[in-house]
Amino acid sequence: MVKHILTLIWNKKKSNFLLFLEIVLAFLILFAVIAFVTHNVRRYVEPLGFESENLWVAHLDLETDMDSLTAVNNKERLLQELSQMPDIKSVAYGCNKTPFRNSANITGHDDNGFYLLSWLYRADEKFDKTLGLKLIKGRWFDKSDSNAKYPPVVVSQKLLDEHFGEREVLDSIFTIEDDQNRIIGIVEHYKAFGGEFTDEKPLTFFYRPSNSIETPSLYIRTKEGANIGLEEKVNNHIATITKSNNFIIEHIEQSRVLKSQETWVPIIALLSICGFLIINVALGLFGVLWYNINKRRAEIGLRRTLGATKGNISFQFIVEILLVVFSGILVGIFFAIQLPLMDIFDIENSNYYYAILIAMVVILLIVLICAYYPSRQAALIHPAVALHEE
Amino acid sequence: MIELENISKVYRTKTIETLALDNMNLSVSQGEFLSIMGPSGCGKSTLLNIMGLIDEPTQGRIEIAGQNILNYNGKKIAKFRNEKLGFIFQSFHLINDLSVIDNVELPLLYRRMGSKERRRLAEEALVQVGLKNRMKHFPGQLSGGQKQRVAIARAIVGQPEIILADEPTGNLDSVMGNEIMEILLRLNKESKTTIVMVTHDENMARKTNRLIRLFDGNQVH
Repeated sequence: MVKHILTLIWNKKKSNFLLFLEIVLAFLILFAVIAFVTHNVRRYVEPLGFESENLWVAHLDLETDMDSLTAVNNKERLLQELSQMPDIKSVAYGCNKTPFRNSANITGHDDNGFYLLSWLYRADEKFDKTLGLKLIKGRWFDKSDSNAKYPPVVVSQKLLDEHFGEREVLDSIFTIEDDQNRIIGIVEHYKAFGGEFTDEKPLTFFYRPSNSIETPSLYIRTKEGANIGLEEKVNNHIATITKSNNFIIEHIEQSRVLKSQETWVPIIALLSICGFLIINVALGLFGVLWYNINKRRAEIGLRRTLGATKGNISFQFIVEILLVVFSGILVGIFFAIQLPLMDIFDIENSNYYYAILIAMVVILLIVLICAYYPSRQAALIHPAVALHEE
Repeated sequence: MIELENISKVYRTKTIETLALDNMNLSVSQGEFLSIMGPSGCGKSTLLNIMGLIDEPTQGRIEIAGQNILNYNGKKIAKFRNEKLGFIFQSFHLINDLSVIDNVELPLLYRRMGSKERRRLAEEALVQVGLKNRMKHFPGQLSGGQKQRVAIARAIVGQPEIILADEPTGNLDSVMGNEIMEILLRLNKESKTTIVMVTHDENMARKTNRLIRLFDGNQVH
């Protein structure tokens, strides 16, 4: 029966061509959108590695009209006074490469005998607790690290995965930024660069004591439900101590939301376009089937007369449309598969394969849904009536 | 072979009720070639459709090949039609998108049969109607007489016991009509196939074993 249907489809290739073309295009658009969405969603669900809620960052201006000693003193005073506020849990200093921004210090070299690429962050001894970083091995910095023979560094698991594989690296020495450093700890994740939709980068934290001029950003972890006037108080404290209003207090959660919107908006727009496309394809298929059935009433009557059951008729129409659609999908797959094979975009290949699978399942499901009702109607055509109409 | 007892057929619409067959009784013996004549609208085609199990009587009893068909469900009736009955129509009813051989194979598609066996039987049927050299052609490339010969091949390919022909020569000129009639007579004689033919052509009807005439849903003699 399937061979017979294939013959019929081949003989009607001209009239099936437009449907075939519609399916190829629909598949390719669906594939592209799903690949884009899965690529982003898979990055989105990767953990950030820190808590963005109730986290503020004050970007201090330590260099304008201020000698370095004054700056150091101001930093220490700020740390002490803000730490004592009842609504503040913890305060730390870090570099100005704060989360959800696209600015970063990056190094890449082969001083260790292999090419090492790392994003660089500077942080004090309370940075891990203030941000809620999770250490999976070793320890975070403490004040004794100021006198260490080799400057201590904390690296991310991502850096180990990309550059060291299964090797045990804790307490080992490696060169980065022209210095030999000792790895004293490993953090599970820290996805700070870019946003939630950006790949986690391999990174290295360098220790800078809280009075260092190299860590001008003040990270403040507030208590949940902190007093609404806290920001004003913090603002006044900073302004009073630094004698400057040239700073801003950034709410990291707001930055996260704003940054995420940059990707959510196109995702939602693309999914909406896909939704309309799917509705169009569905209506098109429905129309084609209705037209085919009405045009082929005599053929249906004849087949019923010659011994086809209602099931045979439904089966024939469903398989006919499925085979045309499936051939369109196959051609679509041929084009889609070129993307992972040629590695054109910076997208993990598995996203393409998921997209191919999902686009195929979605289109086949739509076809089955759209084909079911008209095919049932075709089966109900009375042979005597259909033959008489001819 | 075919027994019709008290068959009536009424077509009902919202406003009108039409009696197409009125208490019709008919018996067709095995191997008989029966022709049915009558004016348009007298119920000839309705009678043939009821014998062909593609229409149901409003009342009455049908027995074909010793089996009371009206007790059968849809699937069983479809199987019975497929195995026991062959159909020939005035307007041929060939599928234009299928080649001659694929058209002839159609009834065998609804049987458990391999494609090679189907092809062999279809070729044999086409040989019987003298169209072996047109197997790969499409209906649009054939004359009316050739189309009807393809339809006959399709009717006989499943080796049915009964052929029901609804004005098989109605769309053909007299030469082609005679050719078709000759094939039907040969089938009836050589294969002992029972044939019931509806026709408007007195000359064709006279060539058959028996002729019945219908008028207003009744047999007149």
